[in-house]
Amino acid sequence: MQSAITGFIQLLRSHELRVSPAETLDAMAVATTLGYGDRARLRDGLALSLAKSAREEAILLRCFDQYFDKTLAGQADPAPEADPAAAPESPAPPQEEDATLLQEAAGEFPELGEALATPLLQQLLDNDRTELSLAMGQAAAASGLGNIRMFTQKGQYTRRMLDALGEDALRRAIIALEQADSPLLELLKGYSDNLREQVRDSVEREYLLQAEGHNRQFLDDILSRTRLNQLEQRYMDEVRELVRKMARKLAARHSRKPKVQKRGQLDMGRTLRRGIATDGVMFNTYWRKVRRDKPQILALCDVSGSVAAYAKFLLLFLYSLQDVLPRVRSFAFSSHLGEISELFREHPVEKAIELANWRYGGATDYGSSLEDFAELALNDINSSTTVIILGDARNNGGDPRLEIMQSVYQRARRVLWLNPESRRAWGSGDSEMLRYQSACHFAAECNNLQQLERIIDQLLRLNH
Amino acid sequence: MHTQDFPQLESIERIEQGFEALGYICSTKIATAVFLAFQLRKPVLVEGPPGVGKTELAKTCAELLSVPLIRLQCYEGLDEAKALYEWKYGKQLLYTQVLKEKLGDLLHGARGLAESVERLHQFGDIFFSEDFLEPRPLLKAMQQERGAILLIDEVDKSDYEFESLLLEILSDYQISIPEIGTVKARVSPMVFLTSNNSRDISDALKRRCLHLYIPFPTVELEERIVLSRVPDIDATLRHQLVAFVHSLRELDLKKAPAISETLDWARSLLLLHAGDLEEDLVRSTLNVLLKFEDDVQNAESGLGELLRAARSTP
Ligand SMILES: Nc1ncnc2c1ncn2[C@@H]1O[C@H](COP(=O)(O)OP(=O)(O)O)[C@@H](O)[C@H]1O
Ligand SMILES: [Mg+2]
Repeated sequence: MQSAITGFIQLLRSHELRVSPAETLDAMAVATTLGYGDRARLRDGLALSLAKSAREEAILLRCFDQYFDKTLAGQADPAPEADPAAAPESPAPPQEEDATLLQEAAGEFPELGEALATPLLQQLLDNDRTELSLAMGQAAAASGLGNIRMFTQKGQYTRRMLDALGEDALRRAIIALEQADSPLLELLKGYSDNLREQVRDSVEREYLLQAEGHNRQFLDDILSRTRLNQLEQRYMDEVRELVRKMARKLAARHSRKPKVQKRGQLDMGRTLRRGIATDGVMFNTYWRKVRRDKPQILALCDVSGSVAAYAKFLLLFLYSLQDVLPRVRSFAFSSHLGEISELFREHPVEKAIELANWRYGGATDYGSSLEDFAELALNDINSSTTVIILGDARNNGGDPRLEIMQSVYQRARRVLWLNPESRRAWGSGDSEMLRYQSACHFAAECNNLQQLERIIDQLLRLNH
Repeated sequence: MHTQDFPQLESIERIEQGFEALGYICSTKIATAVFLAFQLRKPVLVEGPPGVGKTELAKTCAELLSVPLIRLQCYEGLDEAKALYEWKYGKQLLYTQVLKEKLGDLLHGARGLAESVERLHQFGDIFFSEDFLEPRPLLKAMQQERGAILLIDEVDKSDYEFESLLLEILSDYQISIPEIGTVKARVSPMVFLTSNNSRDISDALKRRCLHLYIPFPTVELEERIVLSRVPDIDATLRHQLVAFVHSLRELDLKKAPAISETLDWARSLLLLHAGDLEEDLVRSTLNVLLKFEDDVQNAESGLGELLRAARSTP
């Protein structure tokens, strides 16, 4: 039954729930502790040990219902659910009449005799659901049904399942009856159709289980590599989730270890030593310093018309980042600049982005935006500050106020510029990028989510 | 904590019953979480909106087991000195003064500054022994003879740095104190962390814990909670008031009323000798349920309708 748990976890992973090996062990311990007898309890227990948020819980519960319906009925399973005596609808009485009719004709058709000797036809005739679903589970394993990914494979897997069940004997019997135009043909066909339907159902279910998860992964893959300005509105939900995931991943990877030794405490040695000078009387006490090394990130996002298509995503990313990392301050600008940290904190993401665009969107003026920035934050920039600027540096020919960038550059630990335009376009026309670049530690082209994530990851790694 | 010492937790049913006897009415899922936390010795991260009984769960557990409840309330800037331990520097100073004379003896015959310093170092060490240690909640929870319930409340209010400290401690229930060595829990405590979701808890910490999300209760459960906490209220009124609160939660509110507000309201209605949910009465007590003026206005605008529905729920 442990394989049921690993199978379930496989399924969760394909639905993007990250499950670590340690959690896999936890889940198994949970299943062992609670048992498989009480479905609702097992469901609660697995949710408690494997879901890490309300959203993950919802996904998990859905997967559980799909998966354990199948597993509890379909695989070697000692749980009472699979016990026919305990099943709510007890199986219909064996269709003895049909069996007798077929048995009598077996003398005439040797193929029919062979088919009747197979456990498969016996199970069908006895309507033995437990045995049948066990066989179905084994056939699924034998035919590698868990690998189904594309709907085009459904036919192929149905065929393999039927073969693995030993349906060929049944098939031959039907052909024999058909050729002889036997009145028993319809009767036997009824059983065969019933079987095929069940097999098709289980293939369909498995396809839904497997493909749904993989398609999602596939979609995320594509989305994270598409140029941001080409992402379609209809994918917004997916993108939002993806960005949140990235931001969370980054935050988890970069949440720092505490500096254990740096607590503020009495420095006994020093106090005693200094005390010697005053005949052992300790006039002065000495304290170990608490050194708080808290890197801070200031992020500036251009929301002007020329980058509008990108801005939405950059803001989305900032929003998520601020959500997961402490000490991120966000600013938006076009003709002027303002801080949007509060706005991010107070509003849900869609609303916040809309407000940021609305308040600070418009024609670009990097010069006066930098002025605003200097006024708001220059004094807070120090050697543990990282400044990130997201923008195309197209200034409509205005004064770029390079000197402000330079003083930011001198104070900050790191200044980073992410430009959605390709490097070749930097400096062309009204782009001030080459000049601004001289006041950055690092400037990069960034126009899809994957690049964005990679850059921020590097940045955070450098940060401490 | 050892399973054999606490038969109160031996099955999910017993936990449910035990909690109920103490006035805490919970869903099977909550009881399952407590059961698993105990059996598998894992901390539970309890999430959910404010006022759904997260803190109360830990308190009730301590009561049920008759072990101390040790609570660490988190806030921004909470550090090790407040969470783990601190040196009693006052006592350290006092002792150095008292032992001043000894200092002369100690240094007597020392050749040169280097040797004096060396001797002083040795002398200094005794000031960093357990006698001078002030345990804070995390350390205290590990020193309890019979185990303890450690409640790390509102962990979402602490800094990320603090989370990594917690992670370290929750992985093996030991604390290393540089001056003394490693202190290991006598009996590992049962740990509850709560979060109101004001920010995401780090992935690593979540993975250490069982994750229990407590949503607002079902009507049925909430009626039982009211019955347990405000037993004197009339059955019909109880039924109606819970139905009304549930319909409020459907509205688009800044802050939906939680169990604590339902209970406060039930108590108010009892004090006012209410027999029925009369519109005027509800209007004048709405601020017990809703904390924002906007929300009150929002509810008032459709009050008649909401009340009719609440009164006529079967
Ligand atoms: N399941 C419950 N049974 C009985 N009382 C409850 C229950 N849940 C909450 N309460 C009551 O509601 C109040 C608020 O609960 P509390 O634990 O402080 O909420 P939280 O920590 O989730 O914000 C408490 O006074 C408690 O008595
Ligand atoms: Mg609380």
